[in-house]
Amino acid sequence: MTMALAGWLSREAAVIAVPVISLAFGCLVGYLAQRSGFCSIGGFRDFFLFRHTRLLKGYAALVIGAFAAFLVFWLATPAAFEHFPWALTSGLSPVPGAPAGLEAAAYIVLAVIGGIGVGIIGVLLGGCPLRQLTMTSEGNLKALFFVIGMAIGSVIFSALVQGWVVSVMKGIAW
Amino acid sequence: MNKEPEERTSARALAKTPVFVGALVGILAAAVQGLLASAGGPEAYGFCVACHTRDLVNSAVNALAGTSLTVAPISKNAVLPFLTIVGVLIGALAAARVNGEFRVKKGSLTSYAWYAAGGVLFMVFALLMGGCPYRVALRVGYIDIVAVIGLAGIVAGIIAGTKIAVACVERGE
Repeated sequence: MTMALAGWLSREAAVIAVPVISLAFGCLVGYLAQRSGFCSIGGFRDFFLFRHTRLLKGYAALVIGAFAAFLVFWLATPAAFEHFPWALTSGLSPVPGAPAGLEAAAYIVLAVIGGIGVGIIGVLLGGCPLRQLTMTSEGNLKALFFVIGMAIGSVIFSALVQGWVVSVMKGIAW
Repeated sequence: MNKEPEERTSARALAKTPVFVGALVGILAAAVQGLLASAGGPEAYGFCVACHTRDLVNSAVNALAGTSLTVAPISKNAVLPFLTIVGVLIGALAAARVNGEFRVKKGSLTSYAWYAAGGVLFMVFALLMGGCPYRVALRVGYIDIVAVIGLAGIVAGIIAGTKIAVACVERGE
């Protein structure tokens, strides 16, 4: 276990601020994503098909903007960004989020499998999940069904798939 | 307040520029972590479509059905989970309405089934790797090597998917 993170807000304020700030931030992202047609998977697709870089530059800017901000904020308030830069503090194990308690090698396998699946499905169904959300809000009913599918997928993954994956991955001698 | 027309035009132009939107979202996602970190982890979690959908859906199912499906610690500790997804839908709806771009587009029943199945599979793959392409971007910015490998996997999948799509189109012609 690591020490608890200490952010800019106190814990009492932060537990109330989570829904408020994320709702406001989401509104801003949704507005900008609709205006710009932002799409992470579409950026790579347009580059490979047409050598268009408009959307790809957006995704690159996301990575660079996040890195620059993490660096500056970490220098100013290290307690809120405790393990930045992650590879230097935590080695090869990933930032938590994938099924917990596995070997580093298992996470690499899951990242490759997950990544390939995400890339193929995203391209074939016309965009990344952010694009599916904005298309839903533009009135696209196919995208709405994709979003409904994601919600169902969340329950299926957490109730079933996660357990299978953990038991398979723990059964492998890495 | 009436702004100068030029200023409004340039703000509108910026909102349509992916490179500006990407940089702003990246910076603000880091700021969201700074603001909210006291509520709990994980790190590099300020914006994610897959994970924040999972937190919202699983929290709701847990509350209604008494289950204990996975929810990120920060969403579990907070009074309500991340509402990013609700915000994105509202923000994009406002943008589409204001700019006259809202138009109901229907598909066939078969297409709905494909998209729903695609959404389920997409979510499963995304949660396997611990995030959608957006959280992967944040994790790459956080210098997570596994996220870099995951991004390489996404790019490989996009190349494969593009080839499949092109082959299908050519066969159809």
